[in-house]
Amino acid sequence: MALLSPFMDALRPPAFHRTWNKREPAKVVAKRAADLPGMTALPIRSLMPDLPQTIWSEDALLGPTNLDEVRRQAQVRAEALDWSKIEAGRMVNLIANPHGLQLCGEAYVTMLEVIAEHVKKTRGAKVRLRIAESMGHIENPDWVKIYRLEERFGDVEECPQMGAGTKVDTKLGDMYVTKKLFDAPYFIHTHVTEMREGYLHRMLDRLMKPFGMAYARLESRSAYHFGFGPRTGQIVSRCIFESDFIQQRYVGTMVLDTTSEGVVSVEADNDLKALDRRLAAGIMRNYAMAMKILGEIEDCVVVFDDHGCGVYCYAGGIAFDNMLCADVDFMDLDNLSLLAAERHDSAEPGLTMGKNNAIKAIVVNYMAGGVPQPFLWDNYPIHVVGDTVNRWMLNDPSNYHFDRAKAPVWPTLDEAVEAACRDGGTDNIIVFDRTPGAFRVSRKLGEHLMSRAPHVRDRVENEFLPKWLRQRGLAL
Amino acid sequence: MPKRVRMVAQIIVDKCTGCRLCEQVCPTVAIGMRPRRADEPGTGRNIAVLEPEACYNAQACVEICPDDAIEMVELDEPFDVGFELPQVDEDAVKTLCRKAGYGRNMQICVCTDTKAGDIATAIIAGAHSPEAVSLATGARTGCVELCMQPILHLLACAGHGDAPRNPKNGFQWYGESATLWQHVQPDGSLPEAIRNAFPEYPLDKEFGDMAKLKRR
Repeated sequence: MALLSPFMDALRPPAFHRTWNKREPAKVVAKRAADLPGMTALPIRSLMPDLPQTIWSEDALLGPTNLDEVRRQAQVRAEALDWSKIEAGRMVNLIANPHGLQLCGEAYVTMLEVIAEHVKKTRGAKVRLRIAESMGHIENPDWVKIYRLEERFGDVEECPQMGAGTKVDTKLGDMYVTKKLFDAPYFIHTHVTEMREGYLHRMLDRLMKPFGMAYARLESRSAYHFGFGPRTGQIVSRCIFESDFIQQRYVGTMVLDTTSEGVVSVEADNDLKALDRRLAAGIMRNYAMAMKILGEIEDCVVVFDDHGCGVYCYAGGIAFDNMLCADVDFMDLDNLSLLAAERHDSAEPGLTMGKNNAIKAIVVNYMAGGVPQPFLWDNYPIHVVGDTVNRWMLNDPSNYHFDRAKAPVWPTLDEAVEAACRDGGTDNIIVFDRTPGAFRVSRKLGEHLMSRAPHVRDRVENEFLPKWLRQRGLAL
Repeated sequence: MPKRVRMVAQIIVDKCTGCRLCEQVCPTVAIGMRPRRADEPGTGRNIAVLEPEACYNAQACVEICPDDAIEMVELDEPFDVGFELPQVDEDAVKTLCRKAGYGRNMQICVCTDTKAGDIATAIIAGAHSPEAVSLATGARTGCVELCMQPILHLLACAGHGDAPRNPKNGFQWYGESATLWQHVQPDGSLPEAIRNAFPEYPLDKEFGDMAKLKRR
C-alpha cells in the first residue's frame, strides 16, 4: 500500500525527558514501540488529503521545521493587536501552558518570544513568563530547562494549580484562579488549538478553556467537573474570563492554530470570543478525520509509549482520550454519553469515560503519572514492561488503584505486546508515542483504517461537521 | 475508598530553606517546621519536618518546593489509609449526601475511589475540615482537581464551611467554587439572567437530560 510508505515509517517518536522525582525513562525504556516488528506510520494526510499545509512541523517529513514563518506571522499578528492598554514601565504576565510546549515546542516558544519582544519594545513594559502548569512536574516534563526559558525570557515561573489562589467574583458567584498568573496589572493569553479533552470543552468557548482549567485553582477546576453538566463545564471558563478581575488585566490573545502535523498559522485578537468563533469551525474540520477514524477500529491493543499520562498520551497529534471515546460522537451536543459524573450514582465505572470495547488490552511501555485513570485499570487488561515502570505506576499518588489491574509485568516490550495480543484475540496494535502527523499502527490495522477512510470522510463532510457546526451556529 | 501509601516525603535538610510552602500545601498537614540547629548545613532559620504517618503520598510538597529539597522515598512496608471508617448513623450519612445533592455511592475522589457516603461518614464522625477528611479517608491526596469542590460542599452542608485554615496561612483550600446547580430554582429552572448570559449553552436541556441520566 503506497501510502503506508517506508518514507513515513522514518518518522520517529520524540525522546523521553527526565521527569518527576528524578525519573529517567530514557534510561529505563529499552525499546520504543515504533521498533516493534510490523509497525508502520499511517499519515493523517493519507486519511485527509486536504489537511492544510503546515508552516512548522516537528519533523521534516511533515513540513517545514524552521521557525521563520512562525516568527513572521507572529510579528504580523503582534503588530495588528491593540496593546494600548499597557502602560509604560508596568508589568505584563505572558501566560503560557504546557500543552503548547508539548505539541509545538520551539514554534510555541518562538511565538512567546515575539510577543514579549514586541510588547517590551512598543509599550516600554516589563514582561515575565508565567507557565500554568496544572499538576506540575508529575504531569509535565521540565519545560523551563528543556527550552532554556530562563535564559530566553529572564523572569520565568511555573505556576501549578495547587499554588496560592485569588478569589474572583463572577456571574455565578465566587471562583478561584492561580494567584501568580494574574499578579501583574496586565496579562496576555496564549494557546494552541489542538483537540484535547474535546469531551470536556465540547468546542464551546474552546480558546477560553484555560481560564476554567489551567489558570484556575483546584476549587474551580473541581467545580468544572462536579458542578456543571456534560455540556456546560465551559461556563466556568467563560465566567472567569468575563469577570471584572480578569477583564481589568486582559490585553489580548495569540494562538498557534494546529493540525495533527503541526502549526498551520498564528492567529491573534484582542477579542477572545471573536477569535474563538473564527477558529472553531476549522479546528473541528482539521481534527475530525483523526478523531472519527479511531472509531473504525474494531479490535486492537493500545501501547502507551509517551511522556503523557494515559489519556494524555498522543498519537497522530491527538490525545488518547479521543481513542477512549472513539465509539461515541462527543462533539454532538445532543450526546449525553460523556461526563456523566454529576448527579448520578456511580453505577457506571469511572468519572467521565465509558468503555471502548474495541480496546482489548493496554500495554504500558512508559507513561507519566498524576491523572487518575481507574477507568483504564478497571476496564481493560493491562500489561506492563519492566519492574521499574511497574513500580512507577504503583507509586503514582493518583493511581493507587493501578494494583487492582493485577497487570503482568513482562521483561520486554515484545513479550508484553505478544501476550496482550494473544489474550485480547487481536493482532492490531496502535501506539500512543507522540509521533506527530501519523498513527503508529500495525500494518494490517493501517490498511484497515485506509480502507475505511473514504466512508469516514463522507460521514465527516456530510453528517458530523454539518451537525457540529449547526449546533454551534457556525459556518465553514 | 482506601489508599495504599507506598511512598512518603523526605526532607533534604541542606537544601531546605524553611520557606514553609510545603507546609502550606500539604493536604494532611504532615509537615511542620523546626529551628535549624547550628551544626546543620543549609540556610534559613527553619527546616521542614515530616510526620511520616500523616504523609499519604500526595506529593504536593515535592511539586511546590522551589529548592528541590523534598524527594519521595519508597516504603519497605506500605500502609493503608481509609480502609476502616467509624460506624455512624447511616440515615445521617444519607441525609447529608442528599442535602449536598450527591448519591451515597457517587465517586468523589477518583484517585482513591472515595464515595460521597465515605466523606459524609468521616464528617459525621468528627472530621470537620478538609484536612481531617483527608486523614480519615485518604481522599484529596492525589490530583485534588476532581474532589476538592464536593468535599468542601459536603463540609458546608454539614455546617463546617468555616473551618479554620491549618496552618493559618495555608492554601490547601479556599472556599467553595460557584456551580450551576446552586442556581437551580425550586421549579428546576435557572434564573433568566443566567440563561441569558450564556445563550450558546443548552442550559434548559442540560437539566432535563441530567435527570434522565440519573434515572439510568
